[in-house]
Amino acid sequence: MTDFKQLLHLLSTSKVDFILVGGMAATVHGATRLTQDLDIVYSRSHANLERLAAALAPYQPYLRGAPLGLPFRWDAATLERGLNFTLTTSLGDLDLLGEITGGGGYEDLVSHSSPIEVFGETCRCLDLPALIQVKRAAGRPRDLEVLAELEALLEERRRLDQL
Amino acid sequence: MPDPDQPLPPDPVVELYKQGVDRTLLRQNLRRSVDERILNLMDLQRLAEELRRAGQRSRDHRR
Repeated sequence: MTDFKQLLHLLSTSKVDFILVGGMAATVHGATRLTQDLDIVYSRSHANLERLAAALAPYQPYLRGAPLGLPFRWDAATLERGLNFTLTTSLGDLDLLGEITGGGGYEDLVSHSSPIEVFGETCRCLDLPALIQVKRAAGRPRDLEVLAELEALLEERRRLDQL
Repeated sequence: MPDPDQPLPPDPVVELYKQGVDRTLLRQNLRRSVDERILNLMDLQRLAEELRRAGQRSRDHRR
């Protein structure tokens, strides 16, 4: 089980530059679906990689699904060499995405995200129209129901704005 | 990325799926704060995990 509250608190208080995407972003916008992991797009600046590596180090980050004992060193250099990491941690599953299909990286997405207040901390979340756009770009059949819910949410929010 | 505020043309498959969306749940959720939405998700996750464990126990018991 993923402790979303702790993970968000950890990333925010560690001053990691990231944007919530995926299922958690959908939850923030009001979606009702269950999601198992936290997906974030993180800034690839060197300072941010250092902050991200230091923040997660105490929580045993490891490649999800990889055989135990695989040589995996968790540090900024590993983050620098890779791009997208699907991790398991002692706080739960965390996907660190350097880029996402149809959206690009942190710098491309930051102008399509907004700061949100979560459990007393501020972090950025991908805006609903952009979330819909990247889900459409991914083109995965399993996202069709998700997309339907997100588009319905957008319609509901627009309806509320008109009241 | 293209401007997300420019509406995409409707996807007929998504439009079909949209008919099955329970909007009463969405409206209820929109009345909640972001913190409440995340806490609800964590409750749901705990419930799903408990049900999974109960299913496993039941299968083990039958063996």
